[in-house]
Amino acid sequence: MRVHCEEGRPRSGPAARWRRYAWAVLGGSVLSLCLLALPGLAQEAGKAVEYRAFPIFGSRLAVWAVAQIHLNFAAFILGVPIFAVIIEIMGWRTGDTRYDWLAHELVKLTFAAFSTTALLGAALLFLLIGYYPKVWNYLTGIFFPTYWVYVLLFFLETFAVYLWYYGWDWLSGPRKWIHVTLGVLSNLFGTAILVVSNSWVTFMVSPGGVDESGALTSFWGAVNNFTWIPINIHRLIANIVFGGTICAAYAAVRFLSAKSDEERARYDWMGYVGNFVALSAFIVLPFAGYYLGREIYAYNQTMGITMMGGFMSWLWIIQAILIGILFIGSNYYLWLGMERIPGSERYRKYVPYLLMVLAAGFMVWATPRSLIVTLRETRAMGGTHHPILGLLGVMSAKNTAVNLMILTTFLSFVFYRRANKVSAKPWAGVGMAIQWAAVGAAAVIVTFYGVYGYFVESIVRIGFSVYQVAAVLGAIVVVMVIDIPLFRGARATGEIRWGAIAPRSQYVLILLAVTFTWLMGLMGFARSGIRQHWHVYGVLRDTSPEAFTPALGYASSVITVVTTVFLALVMFIFWLGSLGEKGKAEAHAAPAPAIAGGSAPEAR
Amino acid sequence: MRLPVPVKVGLFALVVMGAYTYYANSIPQIQSKPPEELSLEGGNVTPEQLVAAGEKIFKDKGTCEICHKIGQKGTRAPDLAGVGAIAAKRRAGVGAKGYLVESLLDPGAFLVEGYPNIMPRVDRPPIGLNRSELWALAAFLQSQGGTVDITLDDIPKTAGAQAVGGGAQAAELKLPGDAKAGQAVFSGKGACIACHKAGALGASPVGPELTQIARIQTPEYIMGKILNPAGMGTVAGYPPGVMPATFGQTLTAREYLDLVSFLLTLKGDGAATAKR
Repeated sequence: MRVHCEEGRPRSGPAARWRRYAWAVLGGSVLSLCLLALPGLAQEAGKAVEYRAFPIFGSRLAVWAVAQIHLNFAAFILGVPIFAVIIEIMGWRTGDTRYDWLAHELVKLTFAAFSTTALLGAALLFLLIGYYPKVWNYLTGIFFPTYWVYVLLFFLETFAVYLWYYGWDWLSGPRKWIHVTLGVLSNLFGTAILVVSNSWVTFMVSPGGVDESGALTSFWGAVNNFTWIPINIHRLIANIVFGGTICAAYAAVRFLSAKSDEERARYDWMGYVGNFVALSAFIVLPFAGYYLGREIYAYNQTMGITMMGGFMSWLWIIQAILIGILFIGSNYYLWLGMERIPGSERYRKYVPYLLMVLAAGFMVWATPRSLIVTLRETRAMGGTHHPILGLLGVMSAKNTAVNLMILTTFLSFVFYRRANKVSAKPWAGVGMAIQWAAVGAAAVIVTFYGVYGYFVESIVRIGFSVYQVAAVLGAIVVVMVIDIPLFRGARATGEIRWGAIAPRSQYVLILLAVTFTWLMGLMGFARSGIRQHWHVYGVLRDTSPEAFTPALGYASSVITVVTTVFLALVMFIFWLGSLGEKGKAEAHAAPAPAIAGGSAPEAR
Repeated sequence: MRLPVPVKVGLFALVVMGAYTYYANSIPQIQSKPPEELSLEGGNVTPEQLVAAGEKIFKDKGTCEICHKIGQKGTRAPDLAGVGAIAAKRRAGVGAKGYLVESLLDPGAFLVEGYPNIMPRVDRPPIGLNRSELWALAAFLQSQGGTVDITLDDIPKTAGAQAVGGGAQAAELKLPGDAKAGQAVFSGKGACIACHKAGALGASPVGPELTQIARIQTPEYIMGKILNPAGMGTVAGYPPGVMPATFGQTLTAREYLDLVSFLLTLKGDGAATAKR
């Protein structure tokens, strides 16, 4: 008889009892909130209502909070499996059990959050049906066929993830390919779910496939509306970043709580991988965001202008600050990580220059242009824009700044990657010269088009951003294409001392996770807020008492509460997931590999 | 005392989020409020009142100011300084009033050189100006260097027909009232025709004309106006406090629903006789 399930969690005993208590408390809380609404509902029975009022908090806040927490969980459980399966494949093909352990550890986190995501999704559905019946009815009239697709995909996703997780040991050895296939399928179904639900959300922002009366004329037009593809791309990339930062933060907490060097080394490595994943995806996220913004303008100029230059203009300054913190934080973590790598001294001298570029880029990106200012501020500046700094607030300067920040972050990564290696290739000098030339050329191209952009019409200037992005991406490709063979079989100047990193580095990982989660909340507000007093922009007007769009201060307070609840739930769920490990030497059937003193993963 | 790691991490996260929240609360706080509907139909409104109302629409509901400046060259849209005088010379054969109205209802018909065709029709959602608002806005534009002589009749009767609520909103509302019975209330017990004209019904100029009320106002406004006239504001050009606030007591619930149902049939198509 099996006494424990495959993940090593006992079915009975204190852990299981705690788990049951926890779910009972969570379920009871949700039920209590629903019961609060019953008296009001009883009075409305039999009437057709457009809105109902959620007790105490109001309907909008209730839907906002639950939707955002649901979205955070969904982003996590969709983002993490993408790189978990890649890590599992790496472990499978190289035979390195550390990767398999890490992939299992990542999926374990996902698995623990899976049911909470579904629970929150159901809560959001009930809230929409109950408190916004008019909106729900209209959207159902447009998207009803997709509901069935969604349900089917959800079943497939659930079964694939369960099999992937519970079959980890069962499908090992010669059957590993089946297990990896399950991981790939989980991702495909998960991404399909994302794509389907994105059609509903994007339709509300940029409705298509309907006539002026709001009647459906083309189902595909409604699905494939202006912002559907850009949001699909943006969310997919952002989910990977988000998953990476949450996993890195989880590893950071485990690192800080570690009782042994081995445990510290293991979670140091996990934190590094999480941050590496997040950073890799984060580098391309601004490009996806730019594409999304461009499509919003293409759909409706008024909406685009309201978004960037109207009452939301300050939001982008806050966004710039948050992204600046993410860039500088990620780089700082890499620089701290270099201290545990013998041989990295060769590259540390560049850090101050990298920091200067990042700081300058940060300041330019956070420079406002079209802001709503008071009369006193206008007088103090001598106009609506600052006479000198105002020039840095336009897209030419901001595009240049962000591209240079991306290039700088990439350089930090390259230095980190080669910190303990000395190339043994005879063409090393030429190779490195080409690499530097590629980076330098990209910087020149980005700067040239940034300056030239001030002297041309806006329609021409918009096209320049494509050249800037292409230059940066081109340099990244050229450098990596040379770098991989250049350091294959390289001489090591020492082994990475996993676990021997300053504890403050772990707080940087936590800072990145908190900041990115908060940023997601802010962007959720932006996406929803640009509709202003419309449920479906230009088609279905919000006639509820809460039709106004709140100011940023209020929104930020809501985002903070929502992020706090989300992070508390995540910690609680991860703690639940870790209960199964209590009293066990290993997390699942394969032993967690010791990493301290092991060779660097990238050296393999 | 050594704090447990989760507590330290939690406090750190709260400090970080607190800093973001503090900053977001320290910048100018601006709400985006739903625009109010303006009704001037049948009103005795002076040119000054009209221009003032138009200026407000230019800055708020019309969102014109986002692209158009007055006295400053815009990057997205032309400077509107002196447009009241320039309008008459823009297009051969089209007068100033015709040009201004056309530029609002069919902005792509004529483009000022150097500017792209990006302006939306302002009588369609999401901007959705109603006929009164178009009139006021055109008057404001005329006032920029020209003489305000535009009348409501210069605005096409079909303009602003889909302004309120979006198409889906208008199509959805179904009241359990009888419009035909509501017409009887309008003419009889309610005595609305004593002050209001609705198509062929009534003729008195005491209150605003309601022939197009279903097009230019939301159902919520109409329902609220009957029960609480003062609370819903006074139409420009009319004295406040004239409309009785007693319909909530004098009409039965059935009569009230019937009356609202009748008013919701008034879309300016000339048919003031309700159909079942």
